[in-house]
Amino acid sequence: MSSLSSVQAPNQTRPARKARFRVWFALPSMLLVGFFFVVPFIANAVLSFTRWTGFSNTITFNGLTNFRQMFSLGILVHSTLVTIGFAVTTMAVQNLTGLALAKALQQSNRVNSVFRTVFFLPVLMSPLAAGYIWSAVLDPHGPVNSFLSLFVRGDFTYSWLGNQHSALLAVGFVDGWKWCGLVTLVYIAGLNSIPRQVVEAAIIDGAGAWRRFRSIEVPLLAPAFTFNIVVTLVGSFSALDVIFATTKGGPGDATSVLNVAVYRQYGQGLFGTSSSLSFMIALLVIATAVPLITYLRRREVTA
Amino acid sequence: MNAPAPAARRSRPRAKKLALVRYAILTLIAIPWVVLPFWVLLVNSWKTDSEAGTPTAALPTRWALVDNLKTVIQQGRYFIGLKNSLIVAVPVVLGVLLLGSMAAWSYARTAKRSLLATYYLTALSIILPPAIVPTVVILTKAHLTGSVLGYILALVGTRIGVIVFLTTGYIRGLPLDFEDAAQIDGANRWQIYWHVILPLVRSVLFTAAVMTVINVWNDFLFALYMIKGMANSTLPLTLYNFANAGQYGLRWNLVFMHVVLTSLPLVIAYVVLQKRVMSGLTEGGVTG
Repeated sequence: MSSLSSVQAPNQTRPARKARFRVWFALPSMLLVGFFFVVPFIANAVLSFTRWTGFSNTITFNGLTNFRQMFSLGILVHSTLVTIGFAVTTMAVQNLTGLALAKALQQSNRVNSVFRTVFFLPVLMSPLAAGYIWSAVLDPHGPVNSFLSLFVRGDFTYSWLGNQHSALLAVGFVDGWKWCGLVTLVYIAGLNSIPRQVVEAAIIDGAGAWRRFRSIEVPLLAPAFTFNIVVTLVGSFSALDVIFATTKGGPGDATSVLNVAVYRQYGQGLFGTSSSLSFMIALLVIATAVPLITYLRRREVTA
Repeated sequence: MNAPAPAARRSRPRAKKLALVRYAILTLIAIPWVVLPFWVLLVNSWKTDSEAGTPTAALPTRWALVDNLKTVIQQGRYFIGLKNSLIVAVPVVLGVLLLGSMAAWSYARTAKRSLLATYYLTALSIILPPAIVPTVVILTKAHLTGSVLGYILALVGTRIGVIVFLTTGYIRGLPLDFEDAAQIDGANRWQIYWHVILPLVRSVLFTAAVMTVINVWNDFLFALYMIKGMANSTLPLTLYNFANAGQYGLRWNLVFMHVVLTSLPLVIAYVVLQKRVMSGLTEGGVTG
């Protein structure tokens, strides 16, 4: 308490009573977070090292057996790689499109706000709905291929979601499409928080638009980059909806991300292996978020 | 952001021409990016089974809007889904906002290490993935599996982190004067929270509410694991079950009619509140 700044000093007259009422106000939130985040998270970590199925009432520790089993079946490595591929695709789609749109729509005027509203519409759709819509748009005989047929001889009937090579990119794109509008708004907020004087000084110094973007906006946008890249990457590690609506993990296992594998194990009553795959997602999140945040934070500068 | 400097320095006609080019390019991007997908969604939801067999961007030759609507409402259990979605979304959003802002006030004004430790745990819940299987077990132990109540509690527990985090950051930036003045005037804790803090954090809570509404209305992952039976299904779950009910693959016209109806409440709310949503989100509410 003594380390508090003088600004907060008047608040410290009756510390004991104060503290107790603070706890009461935070208690409902603490309990809910405890029961539905902390406890399940720890339980999940522990249960991934147990033999636990829906067919028997006993749960016994079995060390790394679940992981070894998932590894030898090829599920662990494959699903992890697919998850990373999916997350990187959707992160790239969201941030590249989002940043470009933010640059184009930065000024607040009437036309831009119409465009902002339009580009935000996909954010409202459920990922499930986005998946169904794009399954139709990317159908072998759907609108995208009819358009491409104009440029090639004969009918263009490539199955974007049904082909091993493009399915993962396609579902990653659909997920990116769904969230892109939100990323755009975060970048617009970031661009608008750059002090006008800095930009004006650069214009007077004769810096062109690209130079201003490279040397002023990109470095000063660092907090927005940190937020967007981490959130889009880490968030899509636990994606399931878009894939359930489009490929259901197929063709073959081309789009079986970890969460699809978790659901399959769970559906077979294999809760132990299901937990171990779910724990793998958590490890992936930690292994990505910690170094990424550290690196991106170091790049953050102030104007 | 009125009359930006670069535009003023340039000759007017040139700036106008540049703006026109930019709007033309933006329109060309918006057509395949937004207009086409929504157009395909709409026109195919008006078609007959046979015509929607291959999803095209063409208008229907025979309209089946009313038939599709009837099918979705009866076989797709639309109104059951709508009722359940409302039963879930309203308490989750109100609960998250109320309990989240209460906790945020405590976290923002305390120096107690133990209390702050729970704040950091709450903030962690934003980034770490939810562990669903153990959550289902906890709900089973509490005899709440498959029920809407268990689902509501799990959603509040996993979605409250963002609100706590954003609001705590916001309250930390507010001066203590208002709270002190209210206390000197004899207001009790609850009155200070309700009459002083809550009005001050309204803008953050609005932005957070928008994100929570979108997130909860569209939640499929938790619903898939935690809700059992048609009678309890929320809209995303009824949509999924409906889409997978057909033996012959997706029937685009019916699936799309369901998608239209499922998304309609959010789209209407968005159109009505559009100005506030946009300004709330672009003023940096998300990055805090």
